[in-house]
Amino acid sequence: MRTRIALSLTAALAIAAAPTAAGAQRLSGERPSAGSVEEGFWTASDKAERAARTSAELNTDPALNAYVRGVACKVAVEYCGDVRVYVLDRPFFNATMAPNGYTEVWSGLMLRASNEAELAFTLSHEVTHFERNHFLEAWNAEKNRQNAMLALSVGIAVLGATAAVNSGSAEAARSIMDATGNLIDVVYLAGMTAFFRFSRENEAEADALGVRRMAAAGYDPRAAATIWTAVRDETASSQFERTRKSEGRLNVFATHPLTRDRIASLEARAASLGAGGDDGRARYRAAIRPHLSAWLRDDLRRRDYGQTLFLLNRLAVGGEDLGVLEFYRGEAFRLRRQDGDLHLAEEAYAAASAWPDAPPQAFRELGELRRKRGDVAGARVAFETYLARAPQAEDAWLVQDSLQSMGNPT
Amino acid sequence: MNAFQRIGAVVALGLTLGACATITPVPAGPMAVKNEYSVTLGRMWSDVSPILVGRSKKVRVLSIDGPFLNRLYVTEGLVPGEGLVRSTVKERPTPMIRSGMSANERMEFVADSIAAMEYQRVEASAPRPAKFGSANAIRFDIEAKTPEGLDMKGTALVAEAAGKVYVILYLAPAEHYFAATLGEVESVMASVSL
Repeated sequence: MRTRIALSLTAALAIAAAPTAAGAQRLSGERPSAGSVEEGFWTASDKAERAARTSAELNTDPALNAYVRGVACKVAVEYCGDVRVYVLDRPFFNATMAPNGYTEVWSGLMLRASNEAELAFTLSHEVTHFERNHFLEAWNAEKNRQNAMLALSVGIAVLGATAAVNSGSAEAARSIMDATGNLIDVVYLAGMTAFFRFSRENEAEADALGVRRMAAAGYDPRAAATIWTAVRDETASSQFERTRKSEGRLNVFATHPLTRDRIASLEARAASLGAGGDDGRARYRAAIRPHLSAWLRDDLRRRDYGQTLFLLNRLAVGGEDLGVLEFYRGEAFRLRRQDGDLHLAEEAYAAASAWPDAPPQAFRELGELRRKRGDVAGARVAFETYLARAPQAEDAWLVQDSLQSMGNPT
Repeated sequence: MNAFQRIGAVVALGLTLGACATITPVPAGPMAVKNEYSVTLGRMWSDVSPILVGRSKKVRVLSIDGPFLNRLYVTEGLVPGEGLVRSTVKERPTPMIRSGMSANERMEFVADSIAAMEYQRVEASAPRPAKFGSANAIRFDIEAKTPEGLDMKGTALVAEAAGKVYVILYLAPAEHYFAATLGEVESVMASVSL
């Protein structure tokens, strides 16, 4: 987070620098001139990229990163050498490309794209922001806001340091400074939210050129509308009224209002380019399959079970990975615990258990729910299957305890 | 009031409250947790609860070297609907105790609560039978990372007795600090008198 504060400082110091090239198309391999506004962004982006390399959220699977990088290169074409992609395990729908080419793709996006073409569109959209230097336009529009943010951040830092000096112990000083850091983060985040709000014109341009870019790379342009339609529908499935009313602003900075008009526009653009092209569904599923379970578990920790259940339905459309998907459907119902949910969870675990890719835990949870319902024989079968499938499980003694507590079979 | 003024007001309020928060020493010897149970501390700790934002009211957090170098969470009995972490936004609910939780679900509750504290890659492992005073309990280990990538280790003792769930959770950086205080934490966990 210190990096983020530095980013604000660096960017603010760059205000008085050279004239900008907002909206101009950049050349591949182009670096900003010394002392320019863009150089400030590059410096800040370089720091953010260094932080990402050691982040706990960085997905270090070389195969997955190579795959996403490959898709990015396919749509970035002339900018392929400028773009560096990092997959971060964050359960929200988001991808960003910084002015220096540092690109984040979050696992929440990977989980929600149903094929390679949908991923290609989101990356094409970001490449367009990069290509057209939209950052500079956004910066020019928001720099007054940034100045205010910087002043507030400095004020907080001074107040925090004063409080720390006046504290009675090293521990207290450290804690106060940390609390102050958190407050600066709040200010920073508010500023970043404003900063990343590209104009409506920038977004429209990124959509239009993004669709064209993905189609030129051989992808089916209809995927542009299908992924945003899915995001809108997932938002409508939220169990929280405020989220449902947010009109599809699922991405963390809420910068892309998903209106019916926008989706219609994407559909029209795809139609004008002609149907067809590759959707890369099989390749895409093969790439994300090793991460499905971990990403779904992360998604459940958001505790918006309505959205998770929508997501599971979308992932299950092709009839693949049903052991894993039905298990997590059971987990969503078990954790949600609304009326009737434990029954639905039991059904889902039972459905999962019919597939060879079902995690062993599906049998353990099935046994637990059957035991609670009084189905001793059914619970026993499920628990014994769990122990047979996972004989080295660390919690085997817990399951054996449950079996013993149910008594001997008659 | 515009957005900046609102942020400024929140920040000012936070600073004011933060400045009022005090860290108090907790001497070695018996420490009562409400009137529900007691533990015995082998050395002096500091009660850092007032400066930890998002803590549930029924959770007390002790530390020796500061909250980022070692934390010992000690809870009162938690009933359904209560948790270790308090939700501040309705759309971001935090893990809560539910009635009829299995031992695996109680482990999951602790791991998910640690994730809700913004730790990453939280994993619970090595569950084993234990005692919380006279009550049967489960003991397990924790591995996690801070968002910046620092490796953390932890250990937890969780029991359910008379419809309430009790948690003692220790978290510290894996390098040096976890092992340095683990002996004291083991003694505290073994000293529970319920």
